[in-house]
Amino acid sequence: MVFNSLDFVGFIIPVFLIYWLVFSKSSVYQNIFLLLVSIVFYVWADWRFLILLGASILVNFYLGLKIYKVPEERKKSIFLYIGLIFNVGLLLYFKYFNFFYEGFYDLLSVFGVESNHSALSILLPLGISFFTFQTLGYLIDVYNEEIEPNTDLLEFSVFVSFFPKILSGPIERASSFLPQIQEKKKLSYEGIVDGLRQILWGLFAKVVVAENCAHFSNTIFENYQDKSGSVLLVGTFFYAIQLYADFSGYSNMAIGISKLFGIQLMRNFSTPFFSVNISDFWRKWHISLTTWMMDYVFTPLSFTLRKHQKRGLIFAIIATFVLVGFWHGANWTFVVYGFLHGIYFVPLVYSGKMNSSEIVAKGKLFPSVKEIVKMLMLFVLIMLTDVFFRADSVTMAFDYLGIIFSSSLLTSPTILFSNVAIITMGLIAVFMGVEWYNREKKHDFDISNFPGYIRWVAYISIFLLILFFGKSASTFIYFQF
Amino acid sequence: MEASEIKEKLKEVLVSVLNHDRFELYDELTAKDVDGWDSLSHMMIITKIEEGLNIKFKLRDLNKLKNLGSLVAVIQAKI
Repeated sequence: MVFNSLDFVGFIIPVFLIYWLVFSKSSVYQNIFLLLVSIVFYVWADWRFLILLGASILVNFYLGLKIYKVPEERKKSIFLYIGLIFNVGLLLYFKYFNFFYEGFYDLLSVFGVESNHSALSILLPLGISFFTFQTLGYLIDVYNEEIEPNTDLLEFSVFVSFFPKILSGPIERASSFLPQIQEKKKLSYEGIVDGLRQILWGLFAKVVVAENCAHFSNTIFENYQDKSGSVLLVGTFFYAIQLYADFSGYSNMAIGISKLFGIQLMRNFSTPFFSVNISDFWRKWHISLTTWMMDYVFTPLSFTLRKHQKRGLIFAIIATFVLVGFWHGANWTFVVYGFLHGIYFVPLVYSGKMNSSEIVAKGKLFPSVKEIVKMLMLFVLIMLTDVFFRADSVTMAFDYLGIIFSSSLLTSPTILFSNVAIITMGLIAVFMGVEWYNREKKHDFDISNFPGYIRWVAYISIFLLILFFGKSASTFIYFQF
Repeated sequence: MEASEIKEKLKEVLVSVLNHDRFELYDELTAKDVDGWDSLSHMMIITKIEEGLNIKFKLRDLNKLKNLGSLVAVIQAKI
């Protein structure tokens, strides 16, 4: 049941009404209802993994308490390690087993050992990459004494399974999510209107921008061999916008839906294409994953390697980004994707500009020429790297890039001159224009400070754009992760 | 060691790593307020403090560093 389906509309309206009308007496009532609804939502998507989700909740809940309660340092770390092995083990088995299994046999064949084997059919449990990262973060936080463990199984279950974020994040932190669950959620008109606004914008990003771009990127990527370099370049452009609109659209819908229930999830995208360097970009792209990786992978790693100074830092950055890439799926394409992004940080390490992050052209309507050039160069780099993200194999990605950087790059990209392409470019311009305008706001479509009539014109325009140009889509790119 | 003494030491470390002294050492100071105090210089600062004061930080201490005041407190607990 994806957010942009009629099924979901039929689900969310009664759930919303019952939540506020029947279960608003106390936080316990609210949490019971949220848990029930989350289970229904998860079962609706795929009932087979409910037991797995339940087991993950119970094991992590118990381990959190244990890590906190045992007095000896050594035992604390034993329980932490059990937790790490359990959570990472789940991920490795369900998501990466075949990758390592095939890799093992490939390695054997290098040494001349031939064998008959075939990949196991392991189904990927929905949302596993997202909820295991949440529980991992929870256990590490308890171990590091950043938070106290949650002692209420009901609250903890809602933390792990809360339906707006279970399938594709944002990857929430216990320290910001649990306190909200513990309190009684209050009905706020402002909050609900703001949530609806964010849902509308997310829906526009997904069904209008992402789906119209997908029309081009799919055609081009699927038949890349008989296309010219210039057309393939156009393909990467549409794919980069599609990927962003798809996932940021999903995230805006998830955060907006959550607001309808009085719960604030973390921001996942903050207009990442308006960045002047790669570090700036990753501070704004899939923020819940990046900050997770920074806190639980990069910081410990760079701390361990601190004696090696710059080389240690570079190693830590590249290793972290390889993991960021690999998190997306068991394919070498994602490893290369992450590795390349790690490499892009190297000049920043040497120039000392790692942590300089600011909103581009803050307080101004237009950026300077220098900022435009920097943003464009960064965008082109990211767009070309996304070829690895989209390609089925590393070989295909190199083939694809090889055709781009051939003489056929200088031919005219005829695909751009169709009416559909011109309309799509117009829709992208609307999308990016609004995001540029709102880049200093709390979310991409925070228009709360405009006069009422302008807000209504905006709502109706977006609604009409969805009506005329929206395409139905059955899934989101990030569901496969 | 007194907090003021530690701060003196910290100042030396910061100047040697960052190559400037454009900062005031008050308890609420955070890395963001100081030019050049990024992820790399942070680790270099930590290493210099460890060498200069002959202490060892743990990862867990690192997570507790929210501002200069907490850095001084963590160091004080170690001496």
